[in-house]
Amino acid sequence: MVSTTATAESETRKYRIRRGIVQGLLYLVLTLGAVVAIFPFAWMLLTASKTYGEHSQKTFWPAGLTTRPYTNLSPVQEIVVDMHPTDAWHGSIASFSPLMEGLIPVNEVSRLVAERLEKKDLALPLNVLILALDTTNDGIQNYDRFVLTVDSRLAEQFTTRIKLGQWGGPDYAGAPRGRWGPHFRVIEASPDQLVVKRGWNVWYMFFGNYIIAWREANFALYTRNSAIITLLTIAGVVVTGTLAAYAFARMQFPGKGLLFTAYLATYMIPWTVIMIPDYLIIVGLENFFKETFGMTNAWYNNWTALTIPFMVNAFTVFLLRQFFAQIPNELFDAALIDGCGHLRFLTQIVLPISRAPLMTVVILNGIWAWNSLQWPLIVTNTADWRPITVGLSSFITEASAETQLIMAGSVITTIPILVLYFFTQKQFTEGIATTGLKG
Amino acid sequence: MATIEQPVTPASNRGLFAGRRGRRIREALQAYLFLLPGTLLLLAFNLLPVGYAFYISVHKWRIQRGDFIGLGNYLKALGAPMDVVWVVGGLSLLAGAWMIWRSIKPETSGRGFLLRGLAALMLIIGGLALVLGFPDMLANGDEDLFRSLLITFFYSLGTVPLQIVLSFLLANILFQDIHGKTTWRILYFLPYVTVTVASAAVWTSIFEPRRGLINLALAMLGVTEENLPQWLFEATGIGTLIGQWLGLEVPAWAGGPSLALVAVIIYNIWVFVGYNAVIYLAGLGAVPRELYEAARIDGANRWELLRHITIPLVSPTTYFLTMMGVLGTFKAFNHIYVMTKVGRTLGFPQGTTMTSSILIFKHFWERNQFGYASALAFVLTGVMLSLTWIQNRVSEGRVFYG
Repeated sequence: MVSTTATAESETRKYRIRRGIVQGLLYLVLTLGAVVAIFPFAWMLLTASKTYGEHSQKTFWPAGLTTRPYTNLSPVQEIVVDMHPTDAWHGSIASFSPLMEGLIPVNEVSRLVAERLEKKDLALPLNVLILALDTTNDGIQNYDRFVLTVDSRLAEQFTTRIKLGQWGGPDYAGAPRGRWGPHFRVIEASPDQLVVKRGWNVWYMFFGNYIIAWREANFALYTRNSAIITLLTIAGVVVTGTLAAYAFARMQFPGKGLLFTAYLATYMIPWTVIMIPDYLIIVGLENFFKETFGMTNAWYNNWTALTIPFMVNAFTVFLLRQFFAQIPNELFDAALIDGCGHLRFLTQIVLPISRAPLMTVVILNGIWAWNSLQWPLIVTNTADWRPITVGLSSFITEASAETQLIMAGSVITTIPILVLYFFTQKQFTEGIATTGLKG
Repeated sequence: MATIEQPVTPASNRGLFAGRRGRRIREALQAYLFLLPGTLLLLAFNLLPVGYAFYISVHKWRIQRGDFIGLGNYLKALGAPMDVVWVVGGLSLLAGAWMIWRSIKPETSGRGFLLRGLAALMLIIGGLALVLGFPDMLANGDEDLFRSLLITFFYSLGTVPLQIVLSFLLANILFQDIHGKTTWRILYFLPYVTVTVASAAVWTSIFEPRRGLINLALAMLGVTEENLPQWLFEATGIGTLIGQWLGLEVPAWAGGPSLALVAVIIYNIWVFVGYNAVIYLAGLGAVPRELYEAARIDGANRWELLRHITIPLVSPTTYFLTMMGVLGTFKAFNHIYVMTKVGRTLGFPQGTTMTSSILIFKHFWERNQFGYASALAFVLTGVMLSLTWIQNRVSEGRVFYG
């Protein structure tokens, strides 16, 4: 008796050990796979925090992601800039003559700025010449133009009147408002002197590449465009999709089979075939609107061409129809007896219980719309309605060697969709899975 | 009970729409109204454009419509009319032979011999026609088109099988009793969710020959600088590269896809493994548990369970993913455009990443040959349809729909 229990025990232990090894292996494989899936994101974030020099020198861990650049900063300092009248201005801009000039010495800049200076053959210490113009001639408070030059090169211009505390700091050679260098703020202004407070804006220093990319590539506009395009497309798809799906699922009418086949057929039409005629249709519409209504860019370079052709898709209709068809008939009969028509039944009963498939439709169409590249490439040639994908791809061309900026732009492009994903990931994966099963 | 006795709403009592018949007419009208916006858009931007595309393809059309040239564009792509007849006829005969062969069942033994003979005959004639027509077609047709088809073929072949196998394994692991299923799923799904342009840009920098992550890793492993692969800049086929590495002389035909295309393939696999795995997970969830239990009682081991239950029962998913994968590689545009075009020329390097969809875009957008690009699009559609047909036939009897 004793021996049998002992063997049974050793059996179970053996089994447990084996099970443990298998489990361990599974987790190992999963972890390796996850590393493969994730490392490009890590690379993207790392590179986006590097300076150009760090990237070309193959530095693995950027200094921007250590505490060093943010802790070893020289203390905040107030600099008094004496402004004195200029008599001989020999700067690069001949078209104006400044009234006053003063010098701000810059002895220390952040790494990012240092590299940008190096590229322009500038060395520290730097004397930023500040030139003030006054067109109304009523004292320093009304100097309405300030120009900063470094080595007689134009660095930054303010065309607005100086306001206390608003000045971000000189732009070092090419970077849009280099506030991540030292950060300057005018705290006092009088006719013959400016008091400037020099400090460091850690926030700007940390997100330097993102700020440069954001400004240089006009991502603000592109993000807005993409958001509008995506929202409009989703709205259109949901409206046309629910109406059509409802008609197919719950209404009787002649020609139903034929129409449904037509919808099915569009599912099979490859995009390459209809891309060219669609483009010509847009061109035709554009010309038509120009001639009849005198509107230019009613279609071309406008949200209309970017959204309207995609405001219906057969996939959405199928997905919703499938769901609508499962709603019990009794529900509708009961509603009918209560004097409820199709439209009211659809909006008040069907839609509220179809939240899950609607969510899938919204998410998938959202991704497709946000991702589209080829069509916007074709129907836009100015920045007005250029979506973020086209913006990023042309930024890749412009920034070509500055990989760190491209990576920062990629992060900017990806973030909205990742946020959407993390909030809806359950519906998301479930939606994908059902679409797969439907085939 | 008051609700039931309540009279039908007044509107439906009037005139034409009165009574049961009226209600039906009313419903039909309303249905048409519901379908109107969607159908109009589908007609305008999906269905009618197919006809329009054909109309464009039979014209010389460079931005403006030019002369009617009939099938000229198609012949420019596919060579002389006789070549097309030989090749298409040959392929149809082969397909027909195969279908007849498959239709022979033991019960048809009487006619079986005859049918077998017919199939063999069709096979021989079809094969001959192909042998005769195909070289001519290659010689007379558009070299770029055939090259792009070959590249697309390599692209599909490199992408789809690996993608399927990896995602199947991954799904099976994720289907086990493990902790943090949701977390794993989120992680693996990330590549698919990322904006294509952005992730393609990231991979472009990973493949960068001098400062990219992969070559940094290779350099750390001791690969000397002149031996580092050039990835997206490398036009030489991997067959040739491996040959060089082994010190062998590899003939030109065995060169295979360029390393640049391999880089695109790697990217493609990275994006879709997680996505496919999620679909496989749903497929695995649909397999009845009792089958496994019954088989286990019969003494089946893990491998047998996988081989005889899991694989057959998820075969519809496999079929769907294969088809979507192949069609996807034929349609692929965004990532190839970003990884190979941006800042360079389409199909960089040396046209070795010029897949069919990129070729069509090139003719359409860079050369403004709308007519020819449309004809190419139809040719490509023909190829895709035949592939779908072949896949359908091959999977017949292998895909188990429960």
